[in-house]
Amino acid sequence: MTLSTQAPMADALRQPTSAARSLAVAVALVVLGAWAAGRARGEEKMEQLLPAKTAGWSAAGADRYYTRDNIFEYMDGAGEIYLAYDFQRLLVREYEKRAAPRIIAEIYQMSSSEDAYGIFSHDPEGQPVTLGQGAIYGAGLLRFWKDRIFVRVLAEKETAAAKAAVMALGKSIDATIPRAGKKPRLLTALPLPGLLRESVHYFHTQVSLNAHYFLADSNLLNLSPRTEVVLARYLRNGRRVRLLLCRYANAVAAKAAFEQFNRIYFHDRSAPKLPGRVEKVERGEFVSARWDETFLILVFEARDPRTCEALTETVVKRVREVFR
Amino acid sequence: MRPNKNEESVTRRDFLAGAAYGTVGLALGLNSACSEAGKDTAVSFDPVSMAKSLFRAENPVSRVVLVRDERALDADHNINAGVVAEMIDAAVKTLSGEKDAARAWQHYVRPQDTVGVKYTRCESVRVHTEQEVIDAIVARLADAGVAKERIQAADYGLRLKQCTALINVPTIKVHPLTGIAVSLKNYINFTGRESSYHHEGSVKLGEAWLLPDVQGKTRLIIVDALRPYFGPGPQVSPVHRWDYRGILAGTDPVAIDAISLAIAQAKRNLFKGEEWIISPPPTSIATADTVYHLGTSDPLKIQLIRQGWEKDALV
Repeated sequence: MTLSTQAPMADALRQPTSAARSLAVAVALVVLGAWAAGRARGEEKMEQLLPAKTAGWSAAGADRYYTRDNIFEYMDGAGEIYLAYDFQRLLVREYEKRAAPRIIAEIYQMSSSEDAYGIFSHDPEGQPVTLGQGAIYGAGLLRFWKDRIFVRVLAEKETAAAKAAVMALGKSIDATIPRAGKKPRLLTALPLPGLLRESVHYFHTQVSLNAHYFLADSNLLNLSPRTEVVLARYLRNGRRVRLLLCRYANAVAAKAAFEQFNRIYFHDRSAPKLPGRVEKVERGEFVSARWDETFLILVFEARDPRTCEALTETVVKRVREVFR
Repeated sequence: MRPNKNEESVTRRDFLAGAAYGTVGLALGLNSACSEAGKDTAVSFDPVSMAKSLFRAENPVSRVVLVRDERALDADHNINAGVVAEMIDAAVKTLSGEKDAARAWQHYVRPQDTVGVKYTRCESVRVHTEQEVIDAIVARLADAGVAKERIQAADYGLRLKQCTALINVPTIKVHPLTGIAVSLKNYINFTGRESSYHHEGSVKLGEAWLLPDVQGKTRLIIVDALRPYFGPGPQVSPVHRWDYRGILAGTDPVAIDAISLAIAQAKRNLFKGEEWIISPPPTSIATADTVYHLGTSDPLKIQLIRQGWEKDALV
């Protein structure tokens, strides 16, 4: 039976019939189409972003590529965070120089510039430097984003020469990425007064939220790849408060998340007070929740209810200005 | 209709109120936060004194030895192998009560054992167990009479069926999916399903210790705390590593992890100058205690014995 099912294909390969020729043409078109689509997305250019040499360091060993399917081979225990940002491909190239620390360059291709910004915002600690559309350097590690690309360049040990090489490599990569991309539009809904800029994280799902700010062990806010979330801190009356701004695919989803938060976080099984509420919780802190069309606006760690209300009102106003 | 899993959520409120995750909140220094909702209790912020008040059990269930030596690393983070070997010797001698290092190790392994030294090494995350630590342990196993061919040292690929004894040699790193990764998580790759023990699945991490080829084989845990990591991940930023210059030794993985958690939490608070709670909460420590019964996370049952350099010990 096995042989008989393979026979038609074997025959077709020996004696091309019109059907086989059609099949071959179709396959070729599919391959060509995929290649063209990849080219349009710039996927084949990843290695072109990296020079063969930089500041006396030379590429060593073969380039390594990773995709969504095998990212864990490279970063067991960390891949989930990249996948939560719709990571597409990773290129790793190492550079060596005699009697000097190795330099490892990682080029991450995300599916959108918003997600490249998002993974960049995951760890904002370090000294800001002028590179790409946002860059940070600290203790031998340079990170930046531009368009759909997120870049990490790490010197295994920081020396003056290694730092110079890391920065030179960063500049080279930056120059090779042809254009800038869009930042998440949701960021423009953040009121600027009192915003602690280094506290801003942009993401989509529960995995990312819990890595920054544990809210619940389940998906309390119904976050998904379709949601956009900004977590940020504000200085209000000498105290830092936390804003969680969630944008859902539609108002029904946003309202459902608000109701679930009301029910579980505020322990209130009755119909929630619309459009929002403020509650005093543990440690004398105040938490507020507000539903506004496709948005859910949460404020945590406030010292008084007025702080929650004022920040929420400002955010609602901004959201309406930006999105309606 | 199936009940909504979310309705049974453990929330941040439960955690801060001390109503979830057992004593993990204590190790995180949240004991001052155990107040009822509505009570206006300002949180005192003194991370070091909070951490130092822990692990002082007079009748301990578990003992953990912390040895620190300023000479273990130089200013460029280069490791002094001789000093590290001395630190490991000191830790194991104190734990065993022996004055001689080889005799101390004989409390934990026998010449007829096949010993697996399980260290940690992830290519991209880069908080490896240092080779100097592994080498010192392998040398002492040989001194204790274990033949060289019966000693395996690996991250992946230990032949567990052959091993009659395991020495668990992790590092300390704060982890964006499990809260923290120390000795409990070091066995995650024994499961062959690492990702399923991340995120929400980390509550089941204790299962790795109960696998047929693993259960009951761990004789000693030696934590490489020379340069722990305390940042948000996903990969390590050198900004969030510090030269702690420590070695921890014990036989209770839960106690070891609870102390490591307290050290990392205190460091995070100091770094930010405010409370920076490790997130997500390391549920694996709580469940390793209460569900899998691998040890204790209760600071009132753990005695920490500190030796050596005391500056910035944090616990």
